[in-house]
Amino acid sequence: MAILEVTDLQTRFRTDDGIVKAVSGVSFSLERGQTLGVVGESGSGKSVTFLTVMGLVDPRHSEVSGSVRFDGDEILGSGNARLQKIRGKRIGMIFQDPMTSLNPVKKIGWQLEEAVLLHNDVTRAEARRRAIEVLVEVEIPHADSRVDDYPHQFSGGMRQRVMIAMALINKPEVLIADEPTTALDVTTQAQILRLMKKLQDEHEMAIVMITHDLGVVAEVAHECLVMYGGRIVEQAKVDDLFAKPEMPYTWGLLGSLPRINLTSDRLEQIPGQPPSLLHPPRGCSFHPRCAYVFDRCRQELPELTPGAIGDDHLFRCHLADEDRARIWDAKKAALEASEGRAA
Amino acid sequence: MSELLVVENLQKYFPVTRGAIFQREVGQVKAVDGVSFTLEQGETLGVVGESGCGKSTMARCVARLLEPTGGRIIFEGNDITHLNRSGMRPVRRDMMMVFQDPYASLNARKRVGAIVGEPLEVHGLGTTAERKRRVQELLEIVGLNPEHYNRFPHEFSGGQRQRIGIARALVINPKLVICDEPVSALDVSVQAQILNLLKDLQEQFDLTYIFIAHDLNVVRHVSDRVMVMYLGQPVETGGKQDLYTEPKHPYTGALLSAVPIADPALGRAREQIVLQGDVPSPLNPPAACHFHPRCPRFVDGKCNVDTPELTPAAESPDHRYACHFPLERWPMDESEMRRTPAFAGTAD
Repeated sequence: MAILEVTDLQTRFRTDDGIVKAVSGVSFSLERGQTLGVVGESGSGKSVTFLTVMGLVDPRHSEVSGSVRFDGDEILGSGNARLQKIRGKRIGMIFQDPMTSLNPVKKIGWQLEEAVLLHNDVTRAEARRRAIEVLVEVEIPHADSRVDDYPHQFSGGMRQRVMIAMALINKPEVLIADEPTTALDVTTQAQILRLMKKLQDEHEMAIVMITHDLGVVAEVAHECLVMYGGRIVEQAKVDDLFAKPEMPYTWGLLGSLPRINLTSDRLEQIPGQPPSLLHPPRGCSFHPRCAYVFDRCRQELPELTPGAIGDDHLFRCHLADEDRARIWDAKKAALEASEGRAA
Repeated sequence: MSELLVVENLQKYFPVTRGAIFQREVGQVKAVDGVSFTLEQGETLGVVGESGCGKSTMARCVARLLEPTGGRIIFEGNDITHLNRSGMRPVRRDMMMVFQDPYASLNARKRVGAIVGEPLEVHGLGTTAERKRRVQELLEIVGLNPEHYNRFPHEFSGGQRQRIGIARALVINPKLVICDEPVSALDVSVQAQILNLLKDLQEQFDLTYIFIAHDLNVVRHVSDRVMVMYLGQPVETGGKQDLYTEPKHPYTGALLSAVPIADPALGRAREQIVLQGDVPSPLNPPAACHFHPRCPRFVDGKCNVDTPELTPAAESPDHRYACHFPLERWPMDESEMRRTPAFAGTAD
């Protein structure tokens, strides 16, 4: 049974300008020990989806519907008392900017101990022992003295490790990481990703890796969701997604990456910007930017369906299978030709 | 092709002071510590490095937004290193900058027309009507609607704001454009638009770029030549082909290895080199080679004693690196990197 099962999740925010449809029908399941990569750009709904899963959206301004089953139990709409037993204990969360997520006026030891004491009936001394233990696990040198330092005394990479330590301290079954390495240098990112993989192996932990960086997804994810305009537009095992993406937005994302192993004069660009979630386009939310748009796209939202490949590769697109295959083969040939030139 | 810009041994040190009444200098942050390069007209020099390497500070020194502590900057044959404000004014017509943060680099209280037109106004170029026409021309060139002349920055997306910043940089027809991480804050699909735009504009207007970025993929795409910086010093420079396919400096190798590959099969097949530790503080840089504490090829007694100089590679003199034990080949994994060739000076 999946550790996290989300069905038809919808999140709407009530604002002065109208209703913002941030998440419109997201469904997926997360298996133990697996990493789910969630890819999308600004406004795709990727962060709000997981804030909703964790019950972190303000109910005064939002409407949430659907189902979130954690280890078999429904948690969507649960009260704070129940959710607080799960958040920080069985589901850990890492946020994007480690400086603003850590309390600047408290020593990190205190913050780590707080996470332990909230969920476990232990003494402060035991909590401190656990804090040092987890700091060692995330490879912070001199953990026994660093535990008494303040966040500003750590570098960006170190602070992110402290965040990871805080998320892991109670040995959660799921770790939700929202852009954990975006603010970090590439060599630090490599260290953090390697650390997360090691910890996943050791603790059989499921990870959700939310990112806009397709390279990171290719490195760490087993399964991948591509989000656009508050919906999942493509869903597949990571190898399948990169080998044969089935949807024009995904083609555009992959094509717009400057790559270290390719030379091309122009990058493929997706014209325009991500859609307004206040007034989303009719029909397929990607159609205003799609090079292959036709009438049906403007009227009818495509369903998330499997294609010719198989049941576990889903996508939303009205293009016929043969057309899609033809377009992708042409793109792939062009990519391979430029790869040949670079070599 | 002429040399547009020559930078010789550029240094920028920031004093660290202590004391409230009598400020004593207790140390220096050597943000830029000996950078030299030449830039031909029409070229793009990519400058890559991680936080604290000094790339932005170097760019600001070249643009004379900061006063260099040492070294020389020669632009179009003139030494501009210590020119005063009025001396710099004519130079500033030919050297413009595009900044990283599309939200902070535009004055939120001015309309787009005023923002893009400001360089024209500052240099006293054209009548009001001519300036308006020129601004609208630029808005169109960068892919914006000329009718947006009267809008405020907050009415635009990040990518559009970056286009406004580019329009502002080009409005007075500069020769050199210094781009300081112009696409880092943008989504991937928008990034592609801006990179394509910058390339098109370079061709159209014969521009020369210094392109600073931390993303190696982006730098490879836009640059002709690349300079890798670490803690204020260049560690490797050369043509992009040389640098990316045959890096000589271990840090360059580690950087290339750390970049995630958007191809799961390729990513799994390779063995990444993961450096230990963090970039040290520029307040107290390590002795001799600044990279030695993290270097897989470190040789005690050499790397922490003798500062390596930028040396030309045998195969290609334009490709230079500052390392006593350059990589013999590429790719290499971490264990191969650690096998430093024998050095006569170490005691065995």
